[in-house]
Amino acid sequence: MRASYKWLAEYLDLAGLSPADLADRLTSAGLAVDAVDPLNRGVEGVVIGKVLDVRPHPQADRLKVCQVDVGGRQLEIVCGAPNVAPGLVVPVALPGAKLPGGVEIRIAEFRGVSSHGMLCSADELGLETRYLPKRDAEGLFVLPADLPLGADVVPHLHLDDVVFDLDLTPNRSDCLSIRGLVHELSAILRRPHRFPASVAAPEADGESPLQVRLETPRCPRYEAQLLDGAEIRETPLWMKMRLLAMGVRSIDLVVDVTNYVMLEWGQPLHAFDADAIAQGTIVVRQAREGERLVTLDGQERALTPDMMVIADPEKAIGLAGVMGGENSEIGPSTRRIALESARFDGASIRRTGQALSLRSEAQQRFEKGVDPAAVSSALHRATELLVQLAGSRPVGAPRRVPPQADVSKPTVISFSPHACARFLGVDVPEGEMRACFEALGFGVEHGEGAWRVEVPTRRPDIQAPADLYEEVARLYGYHHIPATSMRLPVEAPESSGHLMIVRKVRRALVDWGLCEVRTYALTSPEAEAPIAPSGVPVALLRPMSDDRRVLRRHLLPSLAEVARHNLAHQVPGGAIFEVGKMFLASSWPQQALPEEQQVLGMLWFGETEGNPFERPRPYDFYDAKGVCDALLARLGIRAAYQASQHVYLHPGRQASIEVNGAPVGFLGELHPDVGEAYDVKRAVYAQFDLDRLFSLASSDVRVRPIPRHPASRRDLAVVVPSELESQALIDSAWRTLGDGGDLRLVRVFDVYTGVGVPEGHKSLAVALWFQSDERTLTDAEIDQAVVAVLRAWEEAFGAKLRA
Amino acid sequence: MSDTWRHELETIRNEAMASLANTSDSKALNDWRIEVLGKKSALSQMSKAMGSLAPEDRRALGEALNRVRQELEQAWRSRQAEMEAKEKALRLERERIDVTLPGREVPLGAMHPISRVIEEIEDIFMSLGFSVVEGPEVETDHYNFELLNIPKDHPARDMQDTFYLTEEWLLRTHTSPMQVRTMERMRGRTPIRVIVPGRVYRRDEDDATHSHQFTQIEGLVVDEGIRMSDLKGTLEAFAKALFGPSQRVRLRPSYFPFTEPSCEVDLVCVSCGGAGCRTCKGTGWIEILGAGMVHPRVLDMSGYDSARYTGFAFGLGAERIAMLRYGISDIRMLYQNDLRFLRQFRHA
Repeated sequence: MRASYKWLAEYLDLAGLSPADLADRLTSAGLAVDAVDPLNRGVEGVVIGKVLDVRPHPQADRLKVCQVDVGGRQLEIVCGAPNVAPGLVVPVALPGAKLPGGVEIRIAEFRGVSSHGMLCSADELGLETRYLPKRDAEGLFVLPADLPLGADVVPHLHLDDVVFDLDLTPNRSDCLSIRGLVHELSAILRRPHRFPASVAAPEADGESPLQVRLETPRCPRYEAQLLDGAEIRETPLWMKMRLLAMGVRSIDLVVDVTNYVMLEWGQPLHAFDADAIAQGTIVVRQAREGERLVTLDGQERALTPDMMVIADPEKAIGLAGVMGGENSEIGPSTRRIALESARFDGASIRRTGQALSLRSEAQQRFEKGVDPAAVSSALHRATELLVQLAGSRPVGAPRRVPPQADVSKPTVISFSPHACARFLGVDVPEGEMRACFEALGFGVEHGEGAWRVEVPTRRPDIQAPADLYEEVARLYGYHHIPATSMRLPVEAPESSGHLMIVRKVRRALVDWGLCEVRTYALTSPEAEAPIAPSGVPVALLRPMSDDRRVLRRHLLPSLAEVARHNLAHQVPGGAIFEVGKMFLASSWPQQALPEEQQVLGMLWFGETEGNPFERPRPYDFYDAKGVCDALLARLGIRAAYQASQHVYLHPGRQASIEVNGAPVGFLGELHPDVGEAYDVKRAVYAQFDLDRLFSLASSDVRVRPIPRHPASRRDLAVVVPSELESQALIDSAWRTLGDGGDLRLVRVFDVYTGVGVPEGHKSLAVALWFQSDERTLTDAEIDQAVVAVLRAWEEAFGAKLRA
Repeated sequence: MSDTWRHELETIRNEAMASLANTSDSKALNDWRIEVLGKKSALSQMSKAMGSLAPEDRRALGEALNRVRQELEQAWRSRQAEMEAKEKALRLERERIDVTLPGREVPLGAMHPISRVIEEIEDIFMSLGFSVVEGPEVETDHYNFELLNIPKDHPARDMQDTFYLTEEWLLRTHTSPMQVRTMERMRGRTPIRVIVPGRVYRRDEDDATHSHQFTQIEGLVVDEGIRMSDLKGTLEAFAKALFGPSQRVRLRPSYFPFTEPSCEVDLVCVSCGGAGCRTCKGTGWIEILGAGMVHPRVLDMSGYDSARYTGFAFGLGAERIAMLRYGISDIRMLYQNDLRFLRQFRHA
């Protein structure tokens, strides 16, 4: 909402308060002022002049040489505007004048003719021409003929005004008008407003020729005034400039008056061409199925029964509270005007506007709430202005439906000053509270302990004591509220164990060299297609872009995108992880909310950076597995790796990670096709289900004594078929010797193929550790155990000791 | 006769001592030992030839020979020690390494700046007795709006443009539904002191200051006798913990449908300390979060009698804090995950 300083000053004494001061006071009372902009953006030395004579330029077809009277002296000025003509009164920038944008006017020569100044357009004066009627926005800005020649244009163009840009919160619909703002400022500044006592509308006697029928409960009140004649159609300059200051486009006097009154009173008005209303009868009803209406913007709208229309007995002539119809538009030939001032249901107006993607000034005010008390006053005011400015004559009295005065009653709230002070935590004196309410125009009646506070209808946001507490707090000043400590019992916070696991995992991974990423949960089915996730995507009803129209079902595409971005930006590779959610549904839409599965996804992509001790190399499966092993160890979880079958992973380089036979995660190299689809060549992905990790994790430690007897290690190098998994040797050793005996640890420490190992085979070096709690083992005992293991290996796998 | 021997012995000794001084390595020193002290050496020859001498002369010469031999052996040993020391020094010198080469790398990862901020804030509030809880990202209209006093067709819905999944389901636009869910879970028990970090979604075009996905941290306190001044005190304690002991908070009136009164909370500008700069647009203050006293209707709808209980709630954006704290000018950097950016957060 924009607001003109000068307009406010008409109704309130602002002496001693600069626009900046006023902005501060408004902001600290909760009406945030985003900007304070002088309407004059740098016009200096521009005066009012009259074009006396226009002749063609001897050297240039498009230029004209004008004689201009600037009040007592005459200047020769070259002008290129097509609309320049003798007799026009226009802004004249004299030599030495300054214009917005740092332009300085000098005597200049145009093809041999010197020009002693410049005739200006509205744009050159820095005006927002989008708010001016077309004819004012193009070419020279033609001014009223009665302005004093030679006078500074600034006051005459009302450029000596300042515009506040207010960022109003949706509850303060009362401040969507100058009068509302004046009420508010009057309370903030504790200065009385000076509104005219009442609007003396020039009413005509007799019954209105207009008939009004309300056929929907969404319009509780409708008032209409018929006016005859509108001879003058040019909006006076002061009104145009005031509309411009308020950010509303000037169109034509009748429309401008309705807008002007809306800005002043907050009550939207509409003007119909009364001759377009069949039988002089206005019907407010819900639209019919299939009904269509061309609105003022020229668009044909398909209406639905949820939309409210203004109609005559034959056809719709407007969308109630949103936009008028083209068929009843005020035009140059309009002779009779029907002015509408009404109340419409805000929610209904809002739905209609949303359905049609319309957002008019009127609609916004109806949505947020209009003061019921303003309906009649605004109609009076508009009638008055049309009579004064357009030469219209009211025909009959206003038609009011229902005929009796509005029955809206002020809200009465029981208010305890003591409770208020306790709630805010600051002892606001009772007199101060009372003064706040009175400054706001609220009635206050003392009762026993509690007060009765009567809130006028223009403040629909005030309904309960807490709302009054806020009024007291913001007018007394939030800065008076002290910072106090709560008196609450000391309790150990009961934060979710889940959260603590996430923090532990995050810290561990970062310590092991992974970088945490955070990616978007919204993606596209196309981005997920290469990994063909199961289930159906959970889709948005109205996505903003095709790239982000479903919730992700998997973390891998998100991480692959991060890898792609980095590889494309000179990062040779890296290890990343994200803790995020996957959104799973078996069908969509479905009966239940989608499942939100929180997972840890990790990705190793590209190459290590290399250093003097290790050449750069691609990250591989075992980099990932090492981290998985460490993570499980850190969480106190013993897991086993089993070959797995994810289609998007390399068929021979992937494993599921299982605890007691149930999967907790998996890892594997990306399938080459998938890598290619994501433009990341080679990468390894690992994923854990965080809920599973959480239920399995343990940080309990029970210490075992350090063994007193020495351990013996035997290293065995055995040749086995290439495809044999090393885990098979380890499992076989444990099976052979039992896990309650002297065998303590079996570990593979080398894998070798090459000279000395037959084709199709590999040599595995395995270390076996033996130890007893009771005594030192003898070589004979250990040798016997080793022989047993070797025999088992030979029988099961054909393993031979390497020569 | 004996003078001849003596003279010869003197000559052998002198020559041997001279050549010893010239030995330059352990081989030369060994050759010297063989030549001077070995079986075929002049000294040994003299010893052998001693038999032909008169007993008196033999004794005298024997003593002289022994003395010279011992002297030369002593000289050899010290020369050897000297040479070994030198050679060790040389070897150590040869073993010199480039200490400026990097050490064997212990890879350092980095926590995402948003996580850093969240963990820090969680720690602060946990130390103030708050619990940390989390909630669903797909919410119902009911929890996200209705129970927070934002009915359908209410203009306040414009404050948060929403991604709907169905008529009733949506991506939560704020973490505030967890106010209601927490009160429902607590079933009337007090005090409630929780914070809720989490991802939220709004239908905003991504640009330098907007992101369709961002991270909020919600706070809620409910008990008997909670005052608006407690809200200020709690947030001031938080601000001091996060940005230093000289921090202060400023409350400005604002509007949220689920709090009354509502406020925007400003901190002393972290860039200029309140003097006024570009970050704070010259005001000396920066807006950091929205807060307010829990709306009585929200309390009542969540099973807490508003005539008896009061409370406060607040919501802050983790991205905003991260941007202020780390000097990040474009929110999209937080979601681009460029490792050249993320690795700057290596140091803890």
